[in-house]
Amino acid sequence: MEHLALDALAAFILLNAVIGMVTYVTLLERKFAARMQSRIGPYRVGPHGLLQPIADALKLMMKEDIVPRAADRWVYNLAPIVFLIPCVLIFATIPFAPRLGLADLNIGVLFFLAVSSLEIVGLFMGGWGSNNKYALLSAMRAVNQIISYDLPFVFAALIPVVLAGSLQMSAIVAAQQGLWFVAYPVIGQLGFVAFLVATLAAENRVPFDILEAESELVAGFRVEYSGMKFAIIQLGEYAHMIASSFLGALLFLGGWLGPGSDIPAIGVLWFLLKAMLVFLVVTWVRWSFVRIRVDQILAVSWKLLLPATLGLLLVTAFWVALRGGAGA
Amino acid sequence: MTAATAGFWAVAVVLLASSLAVVLTPNLFHSVLFLAVALVATGVVFLFLHAPFLFGVQLLLYAGGVVVLVVFAIMLTERIVGLRIRQSSHDLVNGVIVSVAVFVGIVGFLVQSGPAPAAPATPPPGGDQTVALARAILGPYAVPFELLGVLLVIALLGALYFARED
Repeated sequence: MEHLALDALAAFILLNAVIGMVTYVTLLERKFAARMQSRIGPYRVGPHGLLQPIADALKLMMKEDIVPRAADRWVYNLAPIVFLIPCVLIFATIPFAPRLGLADLNIGVLFFLAVSSLEIVGLFMGGWGSNNKYALLSAMRAVNQIISYDLPFVFAALIPVVLAGSLQMSAIVAAQQGLWFVAYPVIGQLGFVAFLVATLAAENRVPFDILEAESELVAGFRVEYSGMKFAIIQLGEYAHMIASSFLGALLFLGGWLGPGSDIPAIGVLWFLLKAMLVFLVVTWVRWSFVRIRVDQILAVSWKLLLPATLGLLLVTAFWVALRGGAGA
Repeated sequence: MTAATAGFWAVAVVLLASSLAVVLTPNLFHSVLFLAVALVATGVVFLFLHAPFLFGVQLLLYAGGVVVLVVFAIMLTERIVGLRIRQSSHDLVNGVIVSVAVFVGIVGFLVQSGPAPAAPATPPPGGDQTVALARAILGPYAVPFELLGVLLVIALLGALYFARED
């Protein structure tokens, strides 16, 4: 019983840390984007705009909650929750330092991939339940995109798994003790690039953001949502993005490894630093490129990314077999 | 009753209720959502049986893959083409008879085969089940496994053949 209480406490702390991180990552992104466009970004609320995310959250909570008359009420109201749960659940399997994580499952990577693939259910529930043509078109595009990019994403994430010979997150990091996987000649770099592209698509970020396409679909599947429900969807989206950055840091950038990482606190710092680096690369791409068309997105996936990641995975497997086994 | 047993019964109730809802709701889209619940609940049953790898695969392939494909089909027909499909259970009586017969058959088989061996409270020894599964599939069961792959390719080619433009 005591064990259960401790687990619940750990989960509660992690959940709050995630929510806090999400709020402040939005500020980071806005500041970063502003700098890229020679602006200053949020500055008025608190010193250097540090209280801006809090103000945003308060504002969203006080907004009126509107349910369209033609909406499918149950589906419409449940969608944000169904969307949020997988996005938060994936944090359970992320280790921040040796033995510092909620659950270091021996199927860690598979758990991450499987649970994050459930996110789409909430998305099309929202798109369908709103009974709005923009939302529906957006959900259609989302389903399209998920079908196309799930496989390359899985294949790219499997490259480090094959190299390490384990699905367990901590074992994958341990296998990078000598050399980070991103530094492996050719395989590592190509794998990391493929992972980043597939992540961009899985997160529906520019240049793969056809499903929210502000100029044509006015924000897509969440167009009818307001107030708290809108905030929940936004929270889920950013949580997923941060979790993917964590995954990238764990799989390719050596997780918490770095000078002085024997001390857990420094390990955590290294890990967060690397994850934020991945996040900033994703943000950098977002603010540098334009949206590409639906057919181009599908062509990139089926004609380039899928064969490339599959081939890369095969080459990795052959190389591991030649080397005589996986591991460090 | 241990916590695991209680959890199993809770999941079983959810699984049965959502499975019934899949065939009984008139709205096709709702029925797919219930299907997603049923598939996730099946995955949780695998968890209770100490098979986390199967849980992950169940979620990835069925809840994340098959459901998405079905939704794709429904959205294309119903809202885009404008074809309204109501799900109706025509042969409710026959369906009930068949399912009760299957249920009785399975229960009878289980009763005949004697009391079930007690489920192990801890994961079976030998460490990682994922490794054991991989060795089994690529070792003694390699030929059936490859045959399944061929079967899937045939199904894919068949689908392409029917969908071709004349």
